[in-house]
Amino acid sequence: MIEIQHISKQYEGVKAVDDLSIEVHKGRIFGFLGPNGAGKTTAIRMLMNIIMPDSGTILFDGSTERPKASSVGYLPEERGLYQKISIFETLQYFAHLRNVRDADSKIRTYLHRFELGGRIHSKVSELSKGNQQKLQFLNTILHDPEYIILDEPFSGLDPVNQILLKEVLEEMKQAGKTIIFSSHQMDQVEKICDDVALINNGKLVTSGSLANVMGSQENKILQVRPVNEVDLTHGFFSEYQHEVKNGSIFIELGQKSKRSFIEELNQTIDIRSVSVADPGLEAIFIDLVKGSEA
Amino acid sequence: MNALKIAWFEYRRRIRSKWFIIGTFGMPILVLGISLGTGYMAGSGTGIETKLIGVIDETARYGQALSSALEVRYADREIKPLALTVTEGKYSTLQSQFDELVTDKSLDGYLVIPETFASNPQIRNYARSSTNFRLTEVIESELKDVLIHDKAAMLNLDSSSLSELFFEIDVAQYEIGGTEERNTEELVAEYIAPFIFMFLLFLGVFTGGQLLLRAVLEERSSRVIEVLLSTVSYNELMGGKILGLGMLGLTQSAIYLLGGLLAGNYYNLSVITPTIGLLYFVYFILGYLFYAGIYIGVGALFDSEQEAQQAIQIITFIAIIPMVLWTLVIENPNTTLVNVLTYIPPVTPFFMMIKIAVNETSIMQIILTITLMMASVYGSIRLSAKIFRTGILLYGKRITLPEIVRWIKA
Repeated sequence: MIEIQHISKQYEGVKAVDDLSIEVHKGRIFGFLGPNGAGKTTAIRMLMNIIMPDSGTILFDGSTERPKASSVGYLPEERGLYQKISIFETLQYFAHLRNVRDADSKIRTYLHRFELGGRIHSKVSELSKGNQQKLQFLNTILHDPEYIILDEPFSGLDPVNQILLKEVLEEMKQAGKTIIFSSHQMDQVEKICDDVALINNGKLVTSGSLANVMGSQENKILQVRPVNEVDLTHGFFSEYQHEVKNGSIFIELGQKSKRSFIEELNQTIDIRSVSVADPGLEAIFIDLVKGSEA
Repeated sequence: MNALKIAWFEYRRRIRSKWFIIGTFGMPILVLGISLGTGYMAGSGTGIETKLIGVIDETARYGQALSSALEVRYADREIKPLALTVTEGKYSTLQSQFDELVTDKSLDGYLVIPETFASNPQIRNYARSSTNFRLTEVIESELKDVLIHDKAAMLNLDSSSLSELFFEIDVAQYEIGGTEERNTEELVAEYIAPFIFMFLLFLGVFTGGQLLLRAVLEERSSRVIEVLLSTVSYNELMGGKILGLGMLGLTQSAIYLLGGLLAGNYYNLSVITPTIGLLYFVYFILGYLFYAGIYIGVGALFDSEQEAQQAIQIITFIAIIPMVLWTLVIENPNTTLVNVLTYIPPVTPFFMMIKIAVNETSIMQIILTITLMMASVYGSIRLSAKIFRTGILLYGKRITLPEIVRWIKA
């Protein structure tokens, strides 16, 4: 378990991270979300001990002592690879630094799984962006770390490789690893995370299990399926923001309560069904960010 | 332990690179090629233009004699640096004609040998520019010989009597207590060797420094630095890099010294003694570590190599001083100026190397300079460690001097 307690970091008078506290549990995948410049990378660098917080504490399994380098896997936001050496030498060097036993055979096994087995002696610079990202990810997990910290791991990956990455993360979660990753790709977060935290301007906006965060926001969008075709220019609909998709009308209620809207709607048109639309994490994310800035 | 792993990685990947092999073996070939090439050019006269000098000979005698003497002097030169065209006559009548020839560039200048030359040996040189200055020395010497022979003839001295009067003194060179005369090659090698030692030191220190700068910039710009810093400490990373690239410089120096030793044995010259070899490595290590601190500190401050190279220029400028002053130090190793220069840390190793190679230093000076360099290395590495720690992760930000001072004070 990783506990971040009230950490702050200031650069030139600007608070990059401001009194941030989160908990990342063992055997769960934690999504660390926030818009660009929110302070995610600074927080992750403090977690990695690359930079020191001005104040606050970070505990790994209850201890302020940092875990050994061999128990941590870190994938930085931007690609951190030597360009002019081979894939194999890259992995070998880091494996050596992290005291990985049987490194060569592990490297070969992983490279095959990640479909890079045929390019073992290719220089890193010869790889596509996606393959470099896979190599980078491999370099993060090769030493079987207990704590896995990934900054934007999905960027640059095609859908097939995104699935592969998710599979591996899922396996690591089953193996009881503590996994934290930052992202702004909400669809990925929704599919894979157990817990999330959202930060904006260095401050925590919300955190908790994904289900709780998604349920915490009152959803003001209703999905209406009418019996017959409806004239949307009718005075009733023009009062609301609406959108038609797949035969349904999605209506943004604004200040109106659901009950009174449905009563009025029932008097206006014949309704087949009315349901609360699933807003998706992205909408919640945008709402929360806007709310935190208001 | 991690520092050693990093050092080995840096050393291994660079020693196998084609640029190291080209640089290490290509540099002596290049230096040798340039030396031999320029020597050949100077000997054959390639690249030399012939200066055409007119002579107004009022004596109707010495002009022609001078011209013949120069023919003999330059007999084996394909391109002669000097050609004379002699006209017998009076300056007063020929002046305007010769001035015109110089103006329209048919002549580069002209000499006047006055009527009274034999009794009052003075000639006049009318030159378009002062670039013929060196050539007038040749004319002066040849004309003097012509005049001496002429006067000897007037005194009825034959050529054997003349050689009794004019002779050259041969200074035979011996070592203290030596019995065998030293040959010219040995003397030249002894004169050049201190420069070569200093040059190799210079090459090794700054090649290592430049590689260090590039290594830091590479890791900084590719963000490998973040992965590394999540695995090893700042000190391990910095120490490993300095060690690995220093080993590379040492390997290069060892190759050169070994080559020098083999070449010396072949030609029976003994310019590389064990003491010089040992002190070379001591000053190399100290000089390299001193500059390593500076290069690694600068590397941590910039995003692009171009910016970093601009910042490092001032350091390179200071370090070039020994390259400019080496002859002064070889010829005057004990002047106050030279002794003061040996105590200025950025140039200490280079000047000391020359002084050691010419055997003009003392144990005390060696101990003092080594102590001074050790203190300077400590300061340089300590300061750069502070800069490295803070600056290395600040991307895309122009760092100001007050900020650096603040980091150092922190």
